[in-house]
Amino acid sequence: MLRTESLCASYGLFQALFDVSIKVAPGEIVALIGANGAGKSTLFRSIVGSVSVARDAVMFGTEPIGNASERRQLKRGIALVPEGRRLFPSLTVLENLQVAARNGRAGIWSIERILAELPILASLSARPATALSGGQQQLVAIGRALAANPDYLLCDEVSLGLAPVAVDDVYALLRKVRSAGTGIMIVEQNISRALSESDRFYCLQKGRVALEGRSGDADRSSVAQAYFGM
Amino acid sequence: MIDRAVATEGVTNASAMHDALKISRLVLSPAILAGLIMLPWFGDFGLQRLLVEAFTLFAIALAWNLLAGYGGLVAIGLHFFVGVGSYALFSISNVLHLNPWVALPLATACTAVTALISAWPMFRLSGAYFAVGTWVLAEITRIAVLNTGWLGAGAGMPLEMISSFDRWSRNANVYWAALAIGAGSLVLTVAMLRSRLGLALKSVRDSEVAALASGVPASRAKLALWVIAGSIAGTAGAVSYMSTLQVTPDASFSLSWTASAIFIVVLGGIGTVEGPIVGTFVYFALREAFAGFGSWYFIGLGSLAVAMMIGAPGGAWSLVQRFYPIDLFGIRRRMPTVIVHHNATGAS
Amino acid sequence: MPTGQASHRLILGCDMSTLIETLINGLLLGALYALFGLGLSISLGVMRMINIAHGDLIVVGAYIASVVTQAAGVHALTSLVIVVPVMFAIGWLLQRTLLNHVVGRNVFAPLLVTFGLSVVIQNLLQEMCTADTRSIRAENISQIGFDIGGVSIGLLPLLSAGVSVGLFALTHAIVGRTHYGRQSRAVADDPSTARLVGIDDKNFLAIVTGFALAATAFAAVLYAIRTPFSPTAGPERLLYSFEAVVLGGLGNLWGTFLGGLIIGVAQLLGARVSSGLGPFFGHLVFLVILLARPQGLFARAAR
Repeated sequence: MLRTESLCASYGLFQALFDVSIKVAPGEIVALIGANGAGKSTLFRSIVGSVSVARDAVMFGTEPIGNASERRQLKRGIALVPEGRRLFPSLTVLENLQVAARNGRAGIWSIERILAELPILASLSARPATALSGGQQQLVAIGRALAANPDYLLCDEVSLGLAPVAVDDVYALLRKVRSAGTGIMIVEQNISRALSESDRFYCLQKGRVALEGRSGDADRSSVAQAYFGM
Repeated sequence: MIDRAVATEGVTNASAMHDALKISRLVLSPAILAGLIMLPWFGDFGLQRLLVEAFTLFAIALAWNLLAGYGGLVAIGLHFFVGVGSYALFSISNVLHLNPWVALPLATACTAVTALISAWPMFRLSGAYFAVGTWVLAEITRIAVLNTGWLGAGAGMPLEMISSFDRWSRNANVYWAALAIGAGSLVLTVAMLRSRLGLALKSVRDSEVAALASGVPASRAKLALWVIAGSIAGTAGAVSYMSTLQVTPDASFSLSWTASAIFIVVLGGIGTVEGPIVGTFVYFALREAFAGFGSWYFIGLGSLAVAMMIGAPGGAWSLVQRFYPIDLFGIRRRMPTVIVHHNATGAS
Repeated sequence: MPTGQASHRLILGCDMSTLIETLINGLLLGALYALFGLGLSISLGVMRMINIAHGDLIVVGAYIASVVTQAAGVHALTSLVIVVPVMFAIGWLLQRTLLNHVVGRNVFAPLLVTFGLSVVIQNLLQEMCTADTRSIRAENISQIGFDIGGVSIGLLPLLSAGVSVGLFALTHAIVGRTHYGRQSRAVADDPSTARLVGIDDKNFLAIVTGFALAATAFAAVLYAIRTPFSPTAGPERLLYSFEAVVLGGLGNLWGTFLGGLIIGVAQLLGARVSSGLGPFFGHLVFLVILLARPQGLFARAAR
């Protein structure tokens, strides 16, 4: 179980997160929704070690792991697919995967397996990573995080700017990843999509958890209220 | 409630400090200024010479700080202006048989025009390209002057007209010129930064794209900065060589002018006005204290620079700021601190 | 004296074969300048850090080579066996203890740290080795020359150029095909995402700097054989290195090589026109080309 406990995070003088407590269990998909600036990316970055937080603000089972480096978190099995994909332009698709694989853990997601699951990428593997379409790049970005064989996958803005068909491909991949036992947390701007693809959800508003629950039971109006803070 | 009380407490302390400073500024600075002006009557020539060096180097450091800290223009070749300014002074004074102090503003004008002209090629470059480009510009000018006969080539030129003054007058007037350029460049810098130009520069420094999108005339602001900084450096150089009486290409176009400026600015705290003041103090205090140690002084200086950047990259002034958050010249525009209330129920 | 037919071929006051000779020697000198720039190109490319002490580190390498050749009584080139690993270690240590603390923050902290380092190195060398110039004797290479088609070329310049090409090719191969090369490209592209995929920048960057200094060691030894050096020779080496890197375009390896060649040719052609003004013409050509192409000849593709 990966969870945060009363996590607070700041950028200099500006506090972005206030007492945020969320959890992800293995084999479930949790959606994180909220308006721009609500703190979703900050939450992910705090978990994964890019933003420094208190040591016991992030718990891995019973172990406090807050404030560790990104590399340490990767070794523990927590990987982030960053907002905007951020593939390395000077590297090909294959090299993006290779660089992550060498620095990650061993496991079922070898590069061969990843390319087998995504045949489109296999044919493009020698292209510079940023020469692909948005949807293809998103798949590469997820593949790159998978290459580290994480137990928990955090995906920031998976469908931003993608055509609907591409979004379907992305979620198909995520479902496969879930069935392998990985716990997944996604940030998704499309609320209906987020709720239909996830088991549970949290709604952030101005840095606080405004609403949480099972996605199947979610009531649209209370979600809208929590989202906009009305 | 407790958090709010603490926050107000902090505000009161800071504003009290501000008031204390305002009062001391009103009382002390005229006193200090008066004392400095009167110095030639009670100080010896050695002290005057030291202060001339200090004031002129301070002005050059301010110029580098303006360019790099406020304009984002890292100019490794700032010594280009030092050389141009000093050669302009010596040439104008020698050729036109002008009193050097009358020639000084003309030298400043010359340097300003040079800055304007050099902006056209130099501003095509940015970042590291700009940094190295300015250095090469300085080098090329040095070699050109070195090979120019009527500028005295390697041996340089003396300042002929200055020999008509007696020693006391000469030293005093050079000292006052140095004081003027040092104090003047400080006043000019502060005034500039509090003006719309300063606001424009700060917005460009924070984000050039956003600034341009907001209609900030970024390139005109940079040009103004370049001309002002160049003129300051040129005038300071000219005054400095008035003191040494001889200008040579290797000395006036020497990289060590920029190197010392970089040291002073970054050690003191780049992008602040107080930084170069602190930096100049530290630089000269160390020099006077360890003058006899030769190379070991420089080794110590270099090590201090290294240690400082690793420990306090904001420079010495940032260390002071950690304990006393003061803004001596009223330039900083503060972001309002968010005071967070924590209710018992946890709701916002 | 050329015949009337050939006299119209006088260019820059020299006849054709002298011109070709100057050009070739310019290219060979340029290859050495390129080698000066290789280490700088690597650290600028991967870490975006301007290392002001780079020129002084070349001089350090020269002094180490000088000490080794005298103490061990070996030939200058044999001293590379010691100089290269020592320089690697120096680079590794420098990055690990000092430079890692300032990489990636603002651009001024590394500038002042390396500038402080430069001052310390120059003065330490002055304390330990006096301010006099010295050089490494290697008569069997510096005195030998070949006559190819009327053009006279020295063995040392040929050797230097060969070493330079070899090291550039090696670096190219490492960057393109090895894991370390992929990592360095990733870090150069996007340091924060590189950390995100687990690249251990503390150790990795130390290796990169070690490699950069190891390559510089070759430049240092060849330079030491060719030119008398002194503790204050650093800044001029730095300037030539910078010119090569900047001219070629930041982040472009073979761009640095070409940049070096251009500077070398410009300098020697300039020296033909007026001896002593070689560097001046190098600087002039540098400025003119840079003004025509402000991002260098082969700028890194915009991201």
